[in-house]
Amino acid sequence: MPGTTSANVIQASGLTKSYRKGALETPVLQGVSLTIARAEFVAIRGTSGCGKSTLLNILGLLDQPDSGGYLLNGVDFSQADDDARSSARNQRIGFVFQQFHLLDRASAVQNVMLPLLYAEDEPADGAARAARALLAVGLSHRMHHLPGELSGGEQQRVAIARALINDPALILADEPTGNLDERNGAEVMEIFKRLHLAGRTIVLVTHDRALAGQADRVLLMQDGRVAVAGAA
Amino acid sequence: MTPFAARSRKLWRSARLSLQLLAAHRLRTALSVTGLLVGVAAVMVMVAIGRGAEQRVVERVRAMGTDLLIVTAAPAPRIAGRQRQVATTTLMRPADARAIADESAFAIAAAPAVHRSLVARSDGRNTTVAVTGTTPEGLRIRNVHAATGRLYDEGEDRERRRVAVLGPVLARTLFGATDPVGREIRIGTTPFEVIGVARVRGVDAGGADLDNAIAIPLETALRRVLNVPYIDAIYVQARSSAHLEALERDVRARLHERHRVRPGTPEPLVVQNQAVILRTERSATRAFNQLIVGVAALALVVGGIGILAVMLMSVRERTREIGLRRALGATRGDIRRQFLLESTMLAAAGGAAGVAVGLAASLAASLAGRWELVFPWRAAAAGVACSTVLGIGVGAIPAARAARQEPIAALRAE
Repeated sequence: MPGTTSANVIQASGLTKSYRKGALETPVLQGVSLTIARAEFVAIRGTSGCGKSTLLNILGLLDQPDSGGYLLNGVDFSQADDDARSSARNQRIGFVFQQFHLLDRASAVQNVMLPLLYAEDEPADGAARAARALLAVGLSHRMHHLPGELSGGEQQRVAIARALINDPALILADEPTGNLDERNGAEVMEIFKRLHLAGRTIVLVTHDRALAGQADRVLLMQDGRVAVAGAA
Repeated sequence: MTPFAARSRKLWRSARLSLQLLAAHRLRTALSVTGLLVGVAAVMVMVAIGRGAEQRVVERVRAMGTDLLIVTAAPAPRIAGRQRQVATTTLMRPADARAIADESAFAIAAAPAVHRSLVARSDGRNTTVAVTGTTPEGLRIRNVHAATGRLYDEGEDRERRRVAVLGPVLARTLFGATDPVGREIRIGTTPFEVIGVARVRGVDAGGADLDNAIAIPLETALRRVLNVPYIDAIYVQARSSAHLEALERDVRARLHERHRVRPGTPEPLVVQNQAVILRTERSATRAFNQLIVGVAALALVVGGIGILAVMLMSVRERTREIGLRRALGATRGDIRRQFLLESTMLAAAGGAAGVAVGLAASLAASLAGRWELVFPWRAAAAGVACSTVLGIGVGAIPAARAARQEPIAALRAE
């Protein structure tokens, strides 16, 4: 594709998004442009309602912008259909949510293997991969526990292992420490830093200044725009 | 790994995970399939009982012979205002039976018979019974066999011996538990020696108890009991049941000719065709089967509504799970298939459980009612198959609703 380089994992230009409630239209994103290079660790910071979660959803192909262009790994997704976006979510993106979002009736390893159900070519070594992913987050001794039997920090580490199972280029984390105490939050941040050092691209959304400070670069969002961009 | 193996492994894992999630609401899941279970079980019991009843009817008719015609005189036409009319005009003689046996190509045997309702006595006990006078050939055609003692023979018939074969019910009425063979009874005022008790035959298609009856030699009946020259009926055995209709036409034609029945006069004969009776009984069971199909359809509808309600509830409750799966890469099709799979598993399980419960209940009923259980394999297979199809059918709506969920809206739901 002309004008794109796959050195950039994310290349977004002029993204707008507004939510309509009855006759009232609330603009959330008002022309966001940003570029995130491979193996970068970027934090998006802002007060609640500034549009940072909406931006993350668009970057994660969970939502579509009203206008603007978006290239993920050099591939244009602004017009992609649902199946193509689903496939990209499965293969190229790992999500980590504030609420962990684990299936509470499924064991840790089953939760980690969930994305494999939707992989086009399911790897034959799925179980081994899940075990490796759990080992990477220090939970190999908890493989067959249900989420209810794990602490909050452990649950979030299971969610991170799940995000890693398909070996994605990009990890999107939305307030991943928001539901954790300080110690567990710090542990989770350590894992992100380790993943970053191992070469993964990480985009972290947070309202926490200290947390954002641990990234390579911080994008400060205000009223649907990127107000300040710069190295931390 | 071949694509098929990979896909079926994925399907299996998806099914197992779904079952784990459904198990979270064990009571609700169980309740959802209860309607279907009860419906299918009820249908299984009905089918089993219906089959058992049909089998008994067929056996009963077979016991009397499916290759049998019974020719009797038609009731006389009643004339208004005339009193004391005789119920039947009788025109047949024993020679008519012989002629049919000798001349009709479709008959292999024929026997004359008389029937009367008479009082039978023994040692102060008395009862009114159906007395049949017929030849030993007649006993054979009607499938009468001795359970104890023996039947009379040609010589006894020719010599007009006063010997009687009792039906088992009558034997019990007159003699209780003691063996009646060799004892004396009176039929009307004529003394008879009991020489045998017949095997149980049951009730005929008209509802008459064949076991509350006496058989005596034809000649004895005609000359010593009734004092009449004519007979009431001719039993005709066909070469095979396939020849029954031709035989019936042939017998009518011969009797019309022998008795000079003019064309245009009312038909003087009634011919009872066992095959026709069997057909009638069969059509009655067919009507019953149609009823069962109706009940089955109703059971499926009710069961389907139960599963539909639970699946819709399940979709609403698992909105976050749907959002999560979409975020992790599930397409709308994946979500639709998952919920279809779940409703199909529920319905198939409900149907299979219904079949099991229904069979157990049928078995219990057959043991209690002492009839033979006809295992309804086809109904069992149909029960499971229809339930499975039903699951796919009613799963379509909740599956479509689940697939419509937008991932972010679903993830945000509480």
